[in-house]
Amino acid sequence: MTTITSVRSAVTAQGLTKVYGTGDAAVHALRGIDVGFATGAFTAIMGPSGSGKSTLMHCLAGLDSVTDGHVSIGDVEITRLNDKRLTLLRRERVGFIFQAFNLLPTLTAEQNILLPLQIAGRQADQALFDRVIDTVGLRDRLRHKPSQLSGGQQQRVAVARALISKPEVIFADEPTGNLDSRSGAEVLSFLRTSVRELGQTIVMVTHDPVAASYADRVVFLRDGLLVREIEQPTPQTVLDTLVALEA
Amino acid sequence: MFRTTIAGLLAHRLRLLLTSLAIILGVGFIAGTFVLTDTIDAGFSQSFTAAADKIDVAVRAKDEENPLPPSLLAKVGAIAGVKDAQPIVSGEAALIGKDGKTVGELVTAGVSFPSYRMDLTSGKVPASDAEAVVDTSTARTQGFRIGDTIAVLDDKNARHEFRLVGTFDVGVDQSLAAHGAVAYTPATAMRMTGAKGYAEIDVTTAGPSRESLRTAIAAVAGSGATVQTGDELASDLAASNGASTEYLKVGLLMFGIVALLVAGLVIYNTFGILVAQRMRELALLRCIGATRRQVFGSIVLESAIVGLVSSVLGLGAGLGMGGLAVFLLDTFSPDVEVPTGTVTLSPQTIVIGLATGLIMTVVAALLPARQATKVAPVAALRTQTEEHTFRTGVVRIVFAALFGLAAAALTYMGVTAKPSETALMTVMAGGVLAFFTVLILGPVLVTPLSGLAGWLPGRLFGVPGRLATENSRRNPKRSATTTIALTIGVTLMTFMAVLTATMRATADQELDSQFPADYRVAAQTGDVPHAVAEALRGHPELATVAEFREAEGRLDDEDYPIGTVTSSVLETALRPKATSGSTDGFKPGTVMIADYVAEHLKIKVGDEVSVGTEKNATPLRVIAILDSESLLPSITVPEQFFDERFGKVDDSQILITAADGADQDKARAIVDDATQPYPAVKVASSTEIRSQFDDAIGGILSVITGLLGLAIVISLLGIANTLSLSVHERTRESALLRALGLKRGQLRGMLTIEALILGLVGALVGTVLGIVYGWAATTTISESVSFRLPVGQVLLFIAASGLAGVLAAVLPARRAARTSIVGSLASD
Ligand SMILES: Nc1ncnc2c1ncn2[C@@H]1O[C@H](COP(=O)(O)OP(=O)(O)OP(=O)(O)O)[C@@H](O)[C@H]1O
Ligand SMILES: [Mg+2]
Repeated sequence: MTTITSVRSAVTAQGLTKVYGTGDAAVHALRGIDVGFATGAFTAIMGPSGSGKSTLMHCLAGLDSVTDGHVSIGDVEITRLNDKRLTLLRRERVGFIFQAFNLLPTLTAEQNILLPLQIAGRQADQALFDRVIDTVGLRDRLRHKPSQLSGGQQQRVAVARALISKPEVIFADEPTGNLDSRSGAEVLSFLRTSVRELGQTIVMVTHDPVAASYADRVVFLRDGLLVREIEQPTPQTVLDTLVALEA
Repeated sequence: MFRTTIAGLLAHRLRLLLTSLAIILGVGFIAGTFVLTDTIDAGFSQSFTAAADKIDVAVRAKDEENPLPPSLLAKVGAIAGVKDAQPIVSGEAALIGKDGKTVGELVTAGVSFPSYRMDLTSGKVPASDAEAVVDTSTARTQGFRIGDTIAVLDDKNARHEFRLVGTFDVGVDQSLAAHGAVAYTPATAMRMTGAKGYAEIDVTTAGPSRESLRTAIAAVAGSGATVQTGDELASDLAASNGASTEYLKVGLLMFGIVALLVAGLVIYNTFGILVAQRMRELALLRCIGATRRQVFGSIVLESAIVGLVSSVLGLGAGLGMGGLAVFLLDTFSPDVEVPTGTVTLSPQTIVIGLATGLIMTVVAALLPARQATKVAPVAALRTQTEEHTFRTGVVRIVFAALFGLAAAALTYMGVTAKPSETALMTVMAGGVLAFFTVLILGPVLVTPLSGLAGWLPGRLFGVPGRLATENSRRNPKRSATTTIALTIGVTLMTFMAVLTATMRATADQELDSQFPADYRVAAQTGDVPHAVAEALRGHPELATVAEFREAEGRLDDEDYPIGTVTSSVLETALRPKATSGSTDGFKPGTVMIADYVAEHLKIKVGDEVSVGTEKNATPLRVIAILDSESLLPSITVPEQFFDERFGKVDDSQILITAADGADQDKARAIVDDATQPYPAVKVASSTEIRSQFDDAIGGILSVITGLLGLAIVISLLGIANTLSLSVHERTRESALLRALGLKRGQLRGMLTIEALILGLVGALVGTVLGIVYGWAATTTISESVSFRLPVGQVLLFIAASGLAGVLAAVLPARRAARTSIVGSLASD
């Protein structure tokens, strides 16, 4: 774990513990995790079902409270913030892509993309907007409502929305989980392009070794613990590691 | 299927709570009405029974004008088996209050004591000509004590003094309670009231049965009398009183039905939303083999259970509301003697309450249940729920057009017709059709209207405001049904406000034109002595003193009162309206006739009619037909002619105007001084009359507004219900917005604004309908209405509706803001 301190981290967690429920019903979803996510890097989180991936991501993003430990985004320790400050921090510094139900059905694609900026009362950077729209290839779909878009297009809108506010970090929870392999590949390449070209930091939870291979680095969870990580993954190395973990 | 239904009900019990509340309130109001009127009826019959219990046989005059001859008392008393026969004298004799004027608006009643029908509450029974007792309520308001001397005017306006020896309770006699009463010995009572005999003779038995005694008495009573046993008397009295509670019942039930109608809309909407939300669940049921009928049945069963449970609770609420109303009546209106029995739910009330609640709920759920059967089993397999796209269908447009045209036609017919009750009914029918048009067009109207209502919030509150506007129009059908429930209450309130404002303005205007006076002097009993007018003349503070006089006379061989008015004031102060001809040429040899008399006798301007007494009639030329609302006597002849024919007749009334710039207090003092010597002569000022009228109208308006308030409350439950169901439906979206950085307060604000928009849309439609039909209704009441739009009140209704919407949003908004982001994102 020497890499944690060597590169500047966009997000760090120390001794992160999350327990759901109390007493007999207590579930230890995270059992003390130390991890850092480098700025400008694309990191994937993998692990068997129920290993705590979503929980980790929710805690890192300030969507959920932690039982113990510290989480920082940039230089702000978010585990100490109240709900209002957390909301403001999410507005300014964090972007999200979920597996499904990413978009407000009442708004058009363009309105959905601009929504975080409008909530924050910020103006869109027209050059960035154009670049993002062209990157994700949505120019002719801007006036459409989500119900008129395919699943892949909807996820691309969600990616564009996450990119437009130039957040310090984008969290994506299985963004390609509902997509076929071609649409999934498209979305993943946009994510990688945005890391390469825009210097975006992305943390992505996934089950799919191929999706994970788009990342610069993969960390593996099991039973709430960080158990392994590999750099410059290929589908094969990821699969091998998973098989090794299952054993 | 039954198990699934019960499980579904339990799972949604919170969501159904608000719906139940709507039913509970509606059923409660109806049941409460029955409880109240039943209790009052029971109270009356109890007290009638109690009063009649002491009476074994009653002999009653068939007709008030022909009382029982006094000689009958002795005859009845002489019949074997009669223990006691007590006469009841009933008439009027004005009591003079401490201010030297006759008491109250109505002439005090003069009755005889002792009486089986009334109880002494203090002191003793009047035993001599010089003693009297007064009813407790009058004694209290006038400050009379036992031992005081009271003065009463007899039927010839002569003053008599009595020593007050006691007070009594008027019992169940509503007319005595309203008039106030003084009781004397029977002989004195006859002398004071001028009664020629007895209204009733109450008999007690010395042993024989009531029946046999009745037969014996009936043999001597003669044809002018009804002879009844005490039991018959009690049920007779109770029945005649039951008629008056019937009005109360019908009036209250109208409001109850409005409330139920609104509740029906709320239920319809709730089941519609619940079905929409459970599409997947229902589709799954269909996938695993449930038939359409089973799905339909399960929804109907659900509504039946909700309806039944709520109706039972509604009966409880009705018992509470009725009991509360009875308690309030008892506590806060001691002057209105309303005897009340024990508060109970009669079997009839239970049946009516349960039936209305159950039937309404099931009927309201039928359409949503049918909708549920249309779910395709594959819907279970779709992940993303579809947005409801609403397209205006041809059927909707056709129906709206049909209803709209019919409404417009009826309304046009009613408005252009001659003012009459039929015209009013036509307009009302048009109003009902217009309401249905709005109901059908609701989903079409709601989108532009919410855009309108959301324009300002969108500007002011940024993203939450704009999202709220979008949300309010995303499901037009749902929004329309939610707001239309509020529309009903607001429409009726606006309608009433317009109607009363117009009536008030019209009455004011009429008062100005027809009562162009500052004071009116009239006598409570008899006429105003001519000396009063004499005393009023010659004061510079008073500009005009117009004497009105009337006497029995004849017009073209028919009996009519003939009247006159001080001719000098006819042109200046009084400006009577003529429907044809003109009052200008009013001089000896002419006559003016009221329109209804002219119509009856087919008299036109220019005709000659013979006017005068039976022996001495003179032909006069008709120069004007007077509007029936004019204050002038219905047959007005010149003063000189009147004096010649009828001699010195006292004034029926005097109208007085103060001089311009005169000191109002001084003018009033002069009028008061002139009338002071005559207890029965009372002064009214136009400002007093106006404010009395305003108070009366204001009172009516506030009672109606209060009763309509229930419909408003139910429609607010509907808004709260729709919102909380929408909140539930949009849990995911709310979580997403929160994840994207929307603050808790902003999320709350978003829902609050949505509710505000719904409230405003409902109010906008309601005020427009209310104003249009308020106006249409006023045109059918009379031709000379001066339409008045109570702008302030209407704005208040709109603002209050918006505010009410905001209130309805408090709980759903709090729930939406409180739910955790992670949990909601994960939820299915
Ligand atoms: N709200 C909750 N209450 C109780 N236990 C929870 C809750 N959420 C998650 N858990 C438990 O915490 C553990 C980790 O859950 P988490 O959702 O983080 O797993 P995951 O790695 O994302 O799984 P998957 O790959 O299936 O999405 C699991 O054992 C789960 O049962
Ligand atoms: Mg997960």
